[in-house]
Amino acid sequence: AFAGNDKKKTEMHFTTQLLTFFPAPPPPPPPPPFVYFPGEIVVNEANFVRKCINTENNQDDLWGKLICTNFKVSFIPNDDPHKRLSHKLLGEHDIPLTCLEQVVTVNDTKGKKKVLGSNQKLKFNPTELILYCKDLRILRFCFNEAGPESARKVCLAIGHYSHPADLQLLFGFEYQGRRYHEFKGERVNGYPQRTGLRTPFFDRSSDWDREIKRTSASEWRVCSINEDYIISPSLPEFIVVPVSMADQDLKQYSLYFTDMRVPLWCWNHHNGSALVRMASVVDPLTQRKTDQKIFTAITRSHPHRSEVLKSELDKCLPNILEIQNAFIKIRQICTLDPFEESEERWLSTIENSRWLEFVRAFLKQSAEIVYYLDGKNVSVIIQEEEDRDLNCVVSSLVQLMLDPHYRSLIGFQSLVQKEWVMAGHRFLDRCNHLKKNDKEESPLFVLFLDCVWQMMNQYPAAFEFTEAYLTVLSDSMWIPLFSTFLFSSSKQREFAKNKAIPSAEDPTLYFPSVWEWSLQYSTKDQTLFNNPMYVGKGAACVQNGEVKSFSRTKQKSFSSTLRGSATSLRNGLRGGEDTLPRRGSLMSELKPDFSPAKDESPSERYFKEWFSRPADLHGLLIPVLMPSHMALWKLFFLRWVPEACISKGGPITAYHKLSQLVDEIEILRSQLRQYKGASPASTPLKGQRGRPSEQRNMYFRAYSPDEPQTPPDYLTSSFPFNPAGNLCRRYVYGTPISKFLNGARIWLSTETLANDTV
Amino acid sequence: MEKSSSVDSLGSKRSSSRQPSVDSLSSTSTSRSDRSAQAKPSTLSSDSVSTSAEFSPELRVKPKAAAKKVLRDSDKEEPQLLPNETVQDNAQDVTYFCPFTGALRGTVIITNYRLFFKCTDSEFVLDLPLGVVSRVEKIGSASSRGDVSYGLVCKDMRNLRFSHKLMEDTLRKSIFEVLMKFAFPVSNGLQIFAFEYGQVFPENGWKVYDAVSEYRRQGIPNESWRITKVNDHYEMCDTYPCTLAVPVNIPDEELKRVSAFRAKGRIPVLSWIHPESQATVTRCSQPMVGVNGKRSKEDEKYLQAIMDANAQSHKLFIFDARPSVNAAANKMKGGGFESEDAYQNAELVFLDIHNIHVMRESLRKLKDVVYPNIEDSRWLSNLESTHWLEHIKLILAGALRIADKVESGKTSVVVHCSDGWDRTAQLTSLSMLMLDSYYRTIRGFEVLLEKEWLSFGHRFQLRIGHGDKNHTDADRSPVFIQFIDCVWQLTRQFPAAFEFNEYFLVTILDHLYSCLFGTFLCNSEQQRLKEDVPKRAVSLWSYINSQLEEFSNPLYVNYSNHVLFPVVSLRHLELWVGYYIRWNPRMRPQEPIHLRSKELLAKRAELQKRVDELQRDVTNRSASSSSDRAGSPTRSITPVQTFV
Repeated sequence: AFAGNDKKKTEMHFTTQLLTFFPAPPPPPPPPPFVYFPGEIVVNEANFVRKCINTENNQDDLWGKLICTNFKVSFIPNDDPHKRLSHKLLGEHDIPLTCLEQVVTVNDTKGKKKVLGSNQKLKFNPTELILYCKDLRILRFCFNEAGPESARKVCLAIGHYSHPADLQLLFGFEYQGRRYHEFKGERVNGYPQRTGLRTPFFDRSSDWDREIKRTSASEWRVCSINEDYIISPSLPEFIVVPVSMADQDLKQYSLYFTDMRVPLWCWNHHNGSALVRMASVVDPLTQRKTDQKIFTAITRSHPHRSEVLKSELDKCLPNILEIQNAFIKIRQICTLDPFEESEERWLSTIENSRWLEFVRAFLKQSAEIVYYLDGKNVSVIIQEEEDRDLNCVVSSLVQLMLDPHYRSLIGFQSLVQKEWVMAGHRFLDRCNHLKKNDKEESPLFVLFLDCVWQMMNQYPAAFEFTEAYLTVLSDSMWIPLFSTFLFSSSKQREFAKNKAIPSAEDPTLYFPSVWEWSLQYSTKDQTLFNNPMYVGKGAACVQNGEVKSFSRTKQKSFSSTLRGSATSLRNGLRGGEDTLPRRGSLMSELKPDFSPAKDESPSERYFKEWFSRPADLHGLLIPVLMPSHMALWKLFFLRWVPEACISKGGPITAYHKLSQLVDEIEILRSQLRQYKGASPASTPLKGQRGRPSEQRNMYFRAYSPDEPQTPPDYLTSSFPFNPAGNLCRRYVYGTPISKFLNGARIWLSTETLANDTV
Repeated sequence: MEKSSSVDSLGSKRSSSRQPSVDSLSSTSTSRSDRSAQAKPSTLSSDSVSTSAEFSPELRVKPKAAAKKVLRDSDKEEPQLLPNETVQDNAQDVTYFCPFTGALRGTVIITNYRLFFKCTDSEFVLDLPLGVVSRVEKIGSASSRGDVSYGLVCKDMRNLRFSHKLMEDTLRKSIFEVLMKFAFPVSNGLQIFAFEYGQVFPENGWKVYDAVSEYRRQGIPNESWRITKVNDHYEMCDTYPCTLAVPVNIPDEELKRVSAFRAKGRIPVLSWIHPESQATVTRCSQPMVGVNGKRSKEDEKYLQAIMDANAQSHKLFIFDARPSVNAAANKMKGGGFESEDAYQNAELVFLDIHNIHVMRESLRKLKDVVYPNIEDSRWLSNLESTHWLEHIKLILAGALRIADKVESGKTSVVVHCSDGWDRTAQLTSLSMLMLDSYYRTIRGFEVLLEKEWLSFGHRFQLRIGHGDKNHTDADRSPVFIQFIDCVWQLTRQFPAAFEFNEYFLVTILDHLYSCLFGTFLCNSEQQRLKEDVPKRAVSLWSYINSQLEEFSNPLYVNYSNHVLFPVVSLRHLELWVGYYIRWNPRMRPQEPIHLRSKELLAKRAELQKRVDELQRDVTNRSASSSSDRAGSPTRSITPVQTFV
């Protein structure tokens, strides 16, 4: 095991020497034990490495040991004021190898620089190592005091191990044992144990059946022609198809499509229109005929036999390369460009990256499809060459807008599972985990999360989860353990299990899903995912594993013309009059009725009409699509930039206050429950504050009268992330630098916090 | 005619009821009043952002009252008139060209306070206080059909266009000429409506600010600072308030000599003092240095005294808000800046904030970009080309530097620009907002405005041009709007640090123009006193403080003694869409967070009450009767459980 005890002495000695150069640090506590996981092996390490915290001076830099394992790059500070980890897999200074974007070694004196890959040589002794990470962090290590040989070795090791030659060299294939036994048996009822709810994986027909039932898609059926992936290697084993299509026909049709991908049902509107995704037809000659057959089948599955609309996404949306370029640019602007210098042209530079333009394009396209499904009551096919990229984004956004179920946490996870994981989004290639083909890399999933964030930003009470959740989800892509993001198809996922060298007790590998949040975060930390403003639990939701179907009081009302359609259709899934939204009493008086302008497209009129009504958070939600309403997702893009960090400010302070409030309400409610249910003997004692802490849903607990209400000092606009330690540039003009340093010092781990507040 | 009618209504005192009537409260919503409180609930129409639940007048009305009112008024074609508001003219068959929905035909009513357009075919209503109108222009020549067109350019980021048939009776004036008369009362020898508006509110807003008690709150007088009455009759400086705080060891006679060296006699006086370090924020106008580099011993001694009043630091920072070029150019006009030779231990810093003309131009460009429609492409670069956010940034950055010097450097600062009533007011009030949590409360903010803006002579009359038809007046400038925008930026960065909400800020800006209240009339304290404004007009704070609930931020947490250091970077500055783009019907405002949190607060209060009741119940009841009583609270709890 790795301990490094023998070196401890010299290290301490050395530290004392350093005191002459640097102001006295507190006496070093014993170095924390290096945490490693079953299957994790230390490849190389270097001592006396300095992690740069601040470029202004070296005072706050950390000294410690830099370690490269087959899983991560780890930095163990000799003396770390905030070493307690809240992430269960990674310490504050750890970066998974898959998270490394670029490994750069520098020799200051010689003015040399080299980007390291696998199996490379280094002709100079590195004085500095800069790690550019996919989660937008940039870390800098200095080797001035480290042995030149060990510095060089650790750099080469990091370069080499971050470029695995083969999928099976990813740590997920090594990581086995404990987790396997713990989780395998609980597969069916074990997902997030916190809530007792289970995210459907859609890897079995029962999940699809339930979804069909939930959306009342009675004219659709689960089809198992692809069992054992005999038809298409990229489709899941179970797919949903029109009832009118026989397995035989499907098998035949599959030949016409790219990668044998027959059209997939995604979702049904309660008016009967369906959302279907489809790959393109291989042979243009058969295009017409194939389309015709598919259309007919889908029309048959529509209660009013209404026509089908096909939306070819390749033709109206940016391609994966453009998206990747936009992302690279905006990442560059946000994390690399000098802070102050880039101020003057900030807005136009952001515009030129085109990222927000693309975000808007995807939202707009999705809203357009919503119009057809909801306003025109027609089924829509979204088509894309491979049906594995743009379709994933659009189909999930459409469903997010139309179906409140997907705005719950479990619903959202099931949506990602259904439209991304099972539909065969090529996570392995798009993430470029193997760093083999840069042309295949594209941040479609991040783009999707940004779109979700835009909606969340506009409707903060409509989602059960928070932006911290979305950010943490994006970070999870770079931890090479989760089956969710490691593979490009179900088949690959399935087959990977058997690839590893079988050991006697573990015949197959088990890759956990990212939805097993307890692997990464404590129950308490997971409460950061909960949005205190969420007003959900309205229309459709899954409670305690039991599925409730939509309330469909207005199912029979339909009309082809928009003007004549019933109000219930216009305002989303639930009618205006039968279920009054809670805010309805306040809002219902505000219903302007715009007379139609002349040159207005029907969809514009439809949107206008929708916007003229109060939004029903349990119903259809359309984001405002004006460019002025597309915002930069600051938590994601700026969280590591110390200069952009607002101390004691940012949206988190509102979150803090709201979650305290909700917690207080939860406490009071449980007190009430105790009163009403209890026998007189069990009357709660005065001062007893509600339920045990584990069961509480809010991260920030209700304050007691003697505590200050002010947001705690560690709250910054970057929370729960900490920009201290990320590569810093000069501080903002006029802002006290002490603020940033304060931020770093008083940073507490979330666990400390939990202990304090309980 | 209108004279007598106003006398009539004064005599009759229609709404002298114990509290302001709900109707009149809601109709004070002025410039957002495109959305009317009168229309039927289901069909209220407007071309405004009427979906804004936050800013809708309806929300300020208690639901029951609203419902009643709606029933009563639903068939009326007339606006709900304010006390002493009288109809001056009306016209049928007027077309309103809504930039969003197209032409609408209807009737127009002009009162001495508003324009009221009611569409004949729909429920559309446009309700516009005439004070908002900046200019009225007759557009083009009469068309073949004999129509005349009028364009109304408004101060609140919108333009309106109407047309109607030319009157056959040529002697009769167009209704828009009548409008012009009442939109520009000052130019037409009429009274501003604020002097006629006779609403009575439970609270008297004029009493919100009292200079002496505000200084007392800050701990003044103390051993270093005293209150002087040297300007009691505005003799030393007619644009300053009568109550001033100055260093103890400078006698009044010397103050007068200092005033001779400062532009318009605006000597350095105390705005704010740090409760612990005693570092101060002082404000003044530029020194009259001139091309020859004149010096004033008294002025130099005076600044030394300001520095000495703070034992913590042996330095004084002079923040000149202007770009250094402009400051130097002022020497030609006899002004200038402090030379560091003359003022020992003082460091002069230029903050590069541009003058009122640049700001006016910037806002004009912004209006072009956001109204009526936002182009689909190049939004951000168009926004950038207006430089509006850049100006906002410079102002906030200046204020941040001041706050940082005072808080972190424990150093006193002197702030000035040229005259010390525009940029200086922005800087001192913003830095005070960062430094002192009191000003982040509703009443504290009112005090801040009364003090730093109104009493220190920000020339509201000139900058806004109340009731004045001279729209090209070079003295007009959105300095105050810019300040409110900066405050909004702060509330965005610190959503829990302010007691007031966005609606409060929008309301202030709306009544900046509406001329309904006396608060923003005149240019100085002296003028307001001379015009007897507090006696003759109602304070905006009377209206606001009579319904604080509507203006409160439920997320408010008292950051007591916490200094706010915003990040002054374009990364965090945003265009205030809730104000500048609110007329666009495509804009649904952000989901009103404060409504949701208000619900939470109400729910908490309700639950707390119930728990308390039950607790009392439990203690009181005897063991034997317990089972009987258990039922009733259970039933009453049920609705609560649908929540969260």
